[in-house]
Formats: sequence, structure tokens, C-alpha cells
Amino acid sequence: MTQTLVLENVARHFGGVPAVDGLSLAVPAGRITGLIGPNGAGKTTVVNLITGMLHLSAGRVLLGGRDVSREEAPELARAGVARTFQNIRLVADASVLDNVLAGFHRHEKTGLMANLFGLPSARAETARLRAEAMTLLERFGMAALALERAGSLSYGHQRRIEMMRALAAQPSLLLLDEPVAGMNDAEAESLAGIFRAVAGEGVAVLLIEHNMRFVMSLCSHLYVLASGRLIAEGAPEVVGRDPRVVEAYLGA
Amino acid sequence: MFLQQIINGIVVGSVYGLFALGFTLLFGVNHIMNMAHGSVFMWGAFAGLYAVLGFEAPVGVALLAGMVAGGLMSVLLDLVAFRPLRRRGAPEFSAIVSSIGANLVLLAVAQKVSNTAVMRFPFDAFPVVVYRVFGLRIQLLQLVIMGVVLLMVAGLVHALYRTEFGRRIRAVAFSEPTARLLGINPTLVNMQVFFISGALAGLAGVLIGLVFNSVHFGMGEPLLLRAFVIVILGGLGSIPGALIAGLIIGIVQTLGIAYVSAGMAEAIVFLALFVVILVRPTGLFGQAGATMRVRRA
Amino acid sequence: MIDFFFTYESLFDLILVNALLAMSQYVVLRAGVFSLGTAGFAALGAYGCALLVTRAGWPPALAIAAGMAIGTAASVLLALPLSRLRGVFQAVATLAFVQIVLSATQNWVELTNGALGINGIPKVVGLGTLTVVTLLVVAFLVAMGRFSFGRALDVIREDETVAVSLGISVPRYHRIAFIMSGALAGLAGGLHACNSYTITPGEFGFQMLVNVLAMVVLGGRTSVWGALAGAAILSTLPELFRVFADYRNMVQGVLMMLVIVYLPRGVADSFIVAVGDRRSRQASAVHGPRHETAVSVVHAAASDAGVRP
Repeated sequence: MTQTLVLENVARHFGGVPAVDGLSLAVPAGRITGLIGPNGAGKTTVVNLITGMLHLSAGRVLLGGRDVSREEAPELARAGVARTFQNIRLVADASVLDNVLAGFHRHEKTGLMANLFGLPSARAETARLRAEAMTLLERFGMAALALERAGSLSYGHQRRIEMMRALAAQPSLLLLDEPVAGMNDAEAESLAGIFRAVAGEGVAVLLIEHNMRFVMSLCSHLYVLASGRLIAEGAPEVVGRDPRVVEAYLGA
Repeated sequence: MFLQQIINGIVVGSVYGLFALGFTLLFGVNHIMNMAHGSVFMWGAFAGLYAVLGFEAPVGVALLAGMVAGGLMSVLLDLVAFRPLRRRGAPEFSAIVSSIGANLVLLAVAQKVSNTAVMRFPFDAFPVVVYRVFGLRIQLLQLVIMGVVLLMVAGLVHALYRTEFGRRIRAVAFSEPTARLLGINPTLVNMQVFFISGALAGLAGVLIGLVFNSVHFGMGEPLLLRAFVIVILGGLGSIPGALIAGLIIGIVQTLGIAYVSAGMAEAIVFLALFVVILVRPTGLFGQAGATMRVRRA
Repeated sequence: MIDFFFTYESLFDLILVNALLAMSQYVVLRAGVFSLGTAGFAALGAYGCALLVTRAGWPPALAIAAGMAIGTAASVLLALPLSRLRGVFQAVATLAFVQIVLSATQNWVELTNGALGINGIPKVVGLGTLTVVTLLVVAFLVAMGRFSFGRALDVIREDETVAVSLGISVPRYHRIAFIMSGALAGLAGGLHACNSYTITPGEFGFQMLVNVLAMVVLGGRTSVWGALAGAAILSTLPELFRVFADYRNMVQGVLMMLVIVYLPRGVADSFIVAVGDRRSRQASAVHGPRHETAVSVVHAAASDAGVRP
């Protein structure tokens, strides 16, 4: 089983205070790996370290076996890392379709000039990408809403748009940062189905959540973070019964 | 002669510093670039002039009038131009646009009210006394100005760092949500900061009006431009930065006018700004820019 | 009807030149670049063109192209350092640039004739030329907005972090938008010089800077229509309300404040959004709660999709 993402002894300090320390984990392709922990455990810091938002104080991040610890976010994105955000960040005034199209950026082949002047190659590519985007929309059941203004849709719909945008890039690693926050069970379950399908296509999925229940049925492997350190890891049923984990959640 | 210009530069620079101080204070606490600050300065000068012309008030009262007028005008500005945007969580861009609009209004009113005239303080407004020290001419006015500036700065620093009042301001500057949790009312603090900022600007207005003996509706604009250079050179949000950079710019400008030409002096000041922004945008004392691009932090 | 045009010819000329300037400002603001440099590039374009025509005897068409080239060259020089800055720093840096150009035109008397300006520029650019150029620029910008470039700009403007996470090179797009802005402003300046017998330094100072910003704030900074609407409104307002011409600045200031608070997208862009929302509300009222409808219908709609220009 290939390890798409590997963290080796990763640490990040803020002025002497460790937000994350001595963290090692691996995210294989084709599976959903969970990173859970109570609020303030350092999960967001980990995401930021992986996606190029923060420098590592120590350790290494390996993507597909390659050391990417020092690469900047756009390079990581182009290397196949995609993420969703905790708070919704869409272009509110643009259509659903346009928002999703933005996700295809790293795959665009036509040059800038062609796009600036609307040359046939750019038109053809945009048409092709639109068709691909529409396929994505159909998969998420939002094809009818393609031209709606993203800002006018419900929270659940907006979450899906964000998901589609992240998937448009056809990433090898997908980081989901609390993707079902604020959703009801039905909506969360339908998204869970999509996560499973995505993993089934060979994408390595890292799910960051603090909702234990949601994570249980979905993840094949869990890492539990508390106060910046790994306190447990393993299969969900095992981890769920681990007294240290229970204490971390209750004590938090 | 050279030393004489240095002295003149220091006097002018200290007033520039005072003006820039108000500007940088607003930025430090509210993250606002108040593009109407120059008009507050100008209206302070108007108020001071009016006090002298209309009420034959002594200069001290004129200074006070300038401070009060500037403070009130600044608070009004906050109420009308900035607070509605803060309430809506509008981006930085909106605040700047709103203050540009407010500036236009303030300028237009001043233009109408003064009939675009260049007004002057009457001859007897301030005794013309000149001291000769080591071959240099130092006017009483210049000494008084420096004294006033020193007093104001000392008072401000004391207030900010040794009083409860100042502690509250610094808390809000550090983090508004945290300050709120501590029971501090950010709205009130904002208003207070706007008042102080405006008072400093208004005072600077009267002082500059006295130094150059000219009060005119357009006097604020060149000052705002100087303020940009000063706060960026000194570091946005830094008090010592504003003062030291103010002195530097005052000296550079005075020397420029004396040895090159007025027009070139202006250009030099702006080229300096350009270079500073490009080479070291955080300035001499500023904190690392929150306004920098997205990279690994 | 023809009389109407002749009487108001200079007004239409003004609207079109302002439209070009507004589009120059719109391009950078759409990309989230807070540049206020349009007036400076326009000055370079205008003076470049005027000097070449009056002093070097260049044919006007070539001189205008040269003016545009000068504006472009200046923006290319500034683009690299500027793309390292953000927000207010960009604003202040470009403001300083405008001031530097202003100082140069006012004080370099041997070259620019100082405050007196340059006179006797042959008025070869008329309403026809301006209209054609403006239409070409509009077509270009609409096309630009339709493809990946426009989409990338929108993402960068809304949230730079997201743009970066999608692999978009933000500094590169900032630079390109800035250079486009300089080119457009240089073109506007050159055309303006050959449309008015005289140009003076004062025309390209803070008055123009604020005017251009006001046009885009008023009309909208995320679509070309916004820039056009803003230019049209602000150019005609003093004409329509002659009595307010005196208070022009005050009115402009008040409008800016009101619009940025209550209609932050600008008049035109808000209108476009409102119409779009109304249409979708009507559609859902007719069709009931939305779920997947016939895929073919949606495909047809998407193929000539209403992507915002």
C-alpha cells in the first residue's frame, strides 16, 4: 500500500510553545485516514504544515516519497494536494460552475495569451473543462444549480461546491478540514458516501474532524491528537475504546 | 546656515511627527488608514484661526480650539465613515474608499466656507522674538512649538503606558475580541482613539498654520502625503517610529527646499517613500506586516 | 439627433476617455491589487504622446501607440516590486508613483513646460476613434473575464489563501493585471492628449486618481459593465445637475461613502446580482424545490453559459 503522505516527527513551535510536537503519521492512497482530537489539539496547525501555510520547526513532510517540507503552497497544489477549508471560502458572486472551474486551474494547458485573447485553443479548453465540471456537479446532485450564484445557496450546497472545487484538481491527496461542521446527519451521510467514492478512486484522503461518531464508520485508520501530540492511533474501534482518548475528549 | 536649516527642519519635523502620530495610532488600534486625516488637520487650523480672528483669543486658546475641533471632527468621521463599515465587517478597501469620500466632503465644505482664500494669523497673534544662539536664529515660536510637541508626546506616552485608559487602548489594539472578553468596550475605546488622533492632528494644524503663517483649505493634502512617508518609514503603528521618521522627513524636506528646490524636495520625499516600501515595508520600527502575501509563515 | 451628438460631443469624448481610465482601474481591482496608479500611467501616456507629436513631429497614431507603450513600460518596471506588497502598501506605493510623475511633469520644465502644460496638440482623435477603441477594449476585457484568467482573478481577489491552495501563482497574476492597467491608462492618456489641444500636469493628479477610483467604486469593480456604468454616471452627473457642478466634489464624496457602505458591489454589479437572484427565485417558484432536472436541459444552458464578463 503506497503512502501518499508521510509526516516524520513533525513539530511546530510558536515562540517556544509547541503547537505540534513529534508527530508522525502516514496517509495511504485509496483509504480515508482520520485525524481527530478535541478543540485546540493542533489539528489546524497540522493542516497548515502540510499545505504550505506554516514552516516546520522540525521533521519532514513527504508527498509520494518526495520531501516537500519546504515547498510553498502553490507548488504543493500543483503536486496534487487539495484541501477544503473550515469556513466556507467561495467566490460568492460567481456561479457554482465558475467556482468549480477554478479548481481545474492546475490542469489548464492553454497559455496566458490564448486565454487573454480568447483564442480557439482557450475556448476549446474552457468548453472541455465546463463539461468535466458539469460531470462533477451531476455526481453531487447539483447540476440544476450550475448557474446559480454561489452566495445565494444553502450552507450544505456551499460545502458541496467547495468539495467539488477541491476534487476538480484531481488531487492525489485530499485534506478535508472539518467538512461536515454544521450539517445535519443526512447531509453528512451523503457527503460520507462521496468521500468513500473518492477514496475508492485511489485518492489518499485525510479527514480532520472532531466529531468522533462521523469519523468512526468512515476511516480505516485514526490518529488522535491532543495538546499537539499523538496520543493514540489505530483502527477506529480500538482507538474509540482507548482510555487516553476518552479522557482527552472529556477533559478538553 | 546648514545648522540653521537643521533646526528649522527639526521644528517642522516635530509637528509632522505629531500629525503622523495621530495617523499611526489609528492604524495601530483600528487598522484603518484614515485618508481624511489631512482634512481633520486643516479644520483644526481653521478652528484655531477662527478663535484668534473671531474671539481675539490668545495663542494658547487657539491651540486648544484646534485640538477640540480636530478631536470632534475625527469622532464624527468615525461615526459616519468607518463605523457602518466595521459593523458590516467590510474589507480594508472599503474603509479607505469611505475615508477618501469623507475627505472630499470635508475639503469641499472648507473650500466653500473659506472661499478658497489663503488666510493668515494676525501679526500680533504671537510675539516675534528671536534668540541668537551660537550664531543661529531661533524664534520663540519655534521653541514653543517644540515644547508643545514634547508635552503632547510625553502626555500621550504616559497615558498609553501608565494609565488604565491606555491599557484598555493597547488591549483593543492587540486583539479586539480578547479585549471584549476582558470587559472592555471596544466601541468606546475606538471613539477615544479617534478623538486623540484628531486632537493631535488639529493641534498640528494650528502649529503649522503658525509656522508657515498660512491657513488654507488645501493645506491638509501635502501633509497627508508626508504622513504616509513618515508612518511607513517609521513603521505602521509605531509611536517612536512616527516621531523619529517625522524628524527625518522634516529635516530632509527643509534641506531639500533650501539647497535644491521646492519641487524637487517633494519628489525626493516620494522617491524615499517608494524605496522604503520596496526595500523594507515594515519601516524602522514596525511589526512584520500582516499585509504581506501568502507564504509559509 | 445629429445636432444632439455635436452639441454633446465633448461630453461623449469625456465619457469614453473616462471609461478607458475606469477600465484600467477595474482590471487591477478585480484582481485584488489595490493600485491607484492609473493617473500616473495616463500622465506618462499623455505626455509621451504630446511631446512626440509636438516636438518630434511624429504622426499622431504612432505617438498614441508610443504613449501606450510608455505606460506599459512603466507598469512593467513597477510590477515586480509591487507584486510583493499587499493592501494599503500597494495603495500607498502607487499613490507615491502618481505623485512622483506629477512632480516630474510640474518641475521638469525643459521637457514638459511645467505647469503651463503642452499646447497645440492637433486634435486628431474624435468621437469615432474613441468609440472604436473603447469598444475594442471592452470586447477584450469581456473575453479576458470569460476564460481562466478572469476566473483566477476572481479567486485571488476573494481569498488569496484559496487561490494559493488551488495552485494559482498570485504574484504572477497581480503583475499581469497591473501591467494591463498601465497599458490601458497609457492608451487613455495618449488618446486624451490628441483629443484636447492642451494637457497640463494638474489633470493627472489626485483629482483624477480619486475620480477614477470613484467611478469604479460607484459602478462596480468586478465586471466591465461596472466600470462603464461608473464612468458614464460620474461624467454626466455634473452636466445633468449643472447647479451641483459647484458641489461636484462633495456629491462625489457623499456618493462614494453611501455606495461603499450600502451597495458595496457598486451600482451595476449589484444590479446584475439582483437580476440573477430574481431570475433564480422565479425559476424555483415555477419548478418547485430544486433537485436534479433533465440533464440535457442543463447541458444546453451550460454550453453557452452566462459566465460573467
